[in-house]
Amino acid sequence: MKINKYLELHKRGILSLLLLGAFLLSLTYIPWSSDLIHAGGRSTINEVIRSFFNPDLSPHLLRIGFIASWQTLAYAVASIALALIIAIFLGVLSSGVLFESVFIKTFCRGLLGFMRAIHELIWAWLFVAAIGLSPLAAMFALAIPYGGILGRIFSDLMQDVETPQILALKTSGASPMQQLFYGYFPASFANMLSYTMYRLECAVRSSSILSFVGLGGLGFQIQISLSDLKYNEVWTFLFFLVILVVLIDIWSNLLRRRLSQ
Amino acid sequence: MTSKKVLELKNISVAFDSNKVLSNLSLSINNGEIIALIGPSGAGKTTLINIVANIIQPDSGEMLIDGVPSISINNRKEYAKKIGVIRQQFDLINQLPVIHNVLAGRLNQWGVLKSILSLIRPQEKYLAKNALSRVGIIDKMFEKTANLSGGEQQRVALARLLVQNPEIVLADEPVSSLDPARANSILSLLVDLVKEENQTLIVSLHSVEYLKKYFTRVIAMRDGKIYFDLPIDKVKEEDLKAVYDLEVTS
Amino acid sequence: MRKKIDIIKFSVYLLTFLIIASWLYIFVVDEADLFKLFSAKNATYTKKFLSGLLGIGEEVPGFIDRDLWKNAIEMSFETFIMSIIAIGIASIGMLLTVIFASKNIANGELTLQKKWYNYPLYYVSQGLYIFSRSVPELLWAMIIVFILKPGILPGALALGIHNFGILGKLCSEVIEDMRYDSIMNLSSCGASKTQLFLYGVIPTVMKRFLTYILYRWEVIIRTSIVVGFVGAGGLGQDFRLAMSFFKYSEITLYLICYMLLVYLTDIISNFSRKFIE
Repeated sequence: MKINKYLELHKRGILSLLLLGAFLLSLTYIPWSSDLIHAGGRSTINEVIRSFFNPDLSPHLLRIGFIASWQTLAYAVASIALALIIAIFLGVLSSGVLFESVFIKTFCRGLLGFMRAIHELIWAWLFVAAIGLSPLAAMFALAIPYGGILGRIFSDLMQDVETPQILALKTSGASPMQQLFYGYFPASFANMLSYTMYRLECAVRSSSILSFVGLGGLGFQIQISLSDLKYNEVWTFLFFLVILVVLIDIWSNLLRRRLSQ
Repeated sequence: MTSKKVLELKNISVAFDSNKVLSNLSLSINNGEIIALIGPSGAGKTTLINIVANIIQPDSGEMLIDGVPSISINNRKEYAKKIGVIRQQFDLINQLPVIHNVLAGRLNQWGVLKSILSLIRPQEKYLAKNALSRVGIIDKMFEKTANLSGGEQQRVALARLLVQNPEIVLADEPVSSLDPARANSILSLLVDLVKEENQTLIVSLHSVEYLKKYFTRVIAMRDGKIYFDLPIDKVKEEDLKAVYDLEVTS
Repeated sequence: MRKKIDIIKFSVYLLTFLIIASWLYIFVVDEADLFKLFSAKNATYTKKFLSGLLGIGEEVPGFIDRDLWKNAIEMSFETFIMSIIAIGIASIGMLLTVIFASKNIANGELTLQKKWYNYPLYYVSQGLYIFSRSVPELLWAMIIVFILKPGILPGALALGIHNFGILGKLCSEVIEDMRYDSIMNLSSCGASKTQLFLYGVIPTVMKRFLTYILYRWEVIIRTSIVVGFVGAGGLGQDFRLAMSFFKYSEITLYLICYMLLVYLTDIISNFSRKFIE
């Protein structure tokens, strides 16, 4: 068999081998030695693992856990709400369904791309440097990248709406704005909601790591407990986080199943 | 040439969710017969084939292959040496090149190591070559299966059967999704190959056009029971009409 | 017969309630002040910050300094390597467990076999996936740097664990959505379970798996800079140092390197995805 034909037939296998090779090659960059682990590393691993099976469930800690979970959730929800506003606005503009101007489309698309290229934590640092430690810094830090992501997805969803439906509206004399509300939005609503719920789940995770900019919540509590070396507390808060994420995931799945009926 | 009983079904019954799909079905088939299985949709043809292919287990009754109870053949590989299947479509792994799909017929002879080796460098290539030239598509040997037309894909499935070389070939509506010209050539090819290899063939069809041309025996099913079972020269027009008649309820 | 709860109505109410409650909480309890945002003090800070980024007022702005560039490129390379190790860990972990985590294998539909250990294995693997993906990479990194010294490995591990969970979920769904027919046909050719995987399952899912792996790699490279914040290696560490010392023009340098890394990774990933068509 000619080399070309063989390559063509086994593309995926070849890519897999290349990736595996790259991985093994990268492993050589790690300075393998006992220097990798901290002095007390071994015992720390044991303690961490043991604490997993023995999380701190005292009422005092559980109370902190619930409050921290609410804080994390609140920031996530508020930011997603803001992100939705940004996303709908920029998404509609960049999809070209209202204005066909190439300039507006490209500009908004570029803006959305820029917004979502930068990680929320970096946005957080930037805002803190600019306006100081403030809850609004956290909200903007979450809303901007998530607005960018949602906006791009909304824009794509609207562009994917099938033209026959829109054509029917156009021929009955609907203005672009009316086309938007009677045609594009209803058609992509289910998908938009589904993605938003998924992003809400991600936002909860992101919200928890905003503790780095001083935001209260589960991440903040985990940091405190870590520095006190209280691993059972750490696991308790981690469980809170996992349960919170799982609850939203279940909610999101129920909604999605209902919408696809 | 002595005719031996290759397949025997005794009082086979199957029910799905309290629907009786097959009721007390009995038949016996000799080596070398070319049998057409006809009947309206829902008659139980596919279920019967799946039972013989050991994909579904009957609720009651017994099945003998070459005089041996089928349940005593607990090795899938041994079973594959006796029985092979070709279906309407989705027979093959689309992402694999044709040659691997054909050589898959040898999986009942190969161990794991040889199977892996073959994916990198095809083993026993001559088998595939022979089979593919007999079905007329040797030029497609290294094509990705997904790129072939429906008729060509069925030829690949036939080639795989050749390589597998079972005693009994079961075909579940193999030509239903092909246009009449192609259906005819595939059916003709199937029957020729089976005759060359001295195999037994059971084909389920939903069209009665080809009966006189290719088959030695016709088994008609209706509502999970055998409606008639006759050699081809004894089958009359009225019988055929009656099988598919919507008004008559049994 | 009880009326079924309409999930949509319920969701709308719940969402509205949550949104109002969170906005109230943030603005009342945490005292977020929108108007303070536009105060003169803030304006000066912002101006200082932006001009710092652009290097105004500095003799040698950070993004021109040759030594800093050399270091930044080394760190970017390190970050790149870290991302490859991370996606490698995630993928290998996924490949080892995804078979057990697929419902259609656990209940025997695909393999036509029922073994007693299938269901427990299913729940354990899915549980692992859920736990590892619910905890964000940064939190994993925070814990891991307590055990391992700062460097590439802790960052790669943290990213790897989190994405292991995500890949696990995505790929087990691919297996659950597979068409059985062609694979059952192989079974009638006499294929053993292993042969079914080799000839049936793997060719069918490989493309999807590779696509998901490449996609997660793109996400990992974007997150790897952040993992450095906790000292888990790469560009992030220098970024954080520059932040703490208010070396704004250096930050611009790192931001540029970061965007170049992301751009490069996107190109490689897109090319690979087109390659496997």
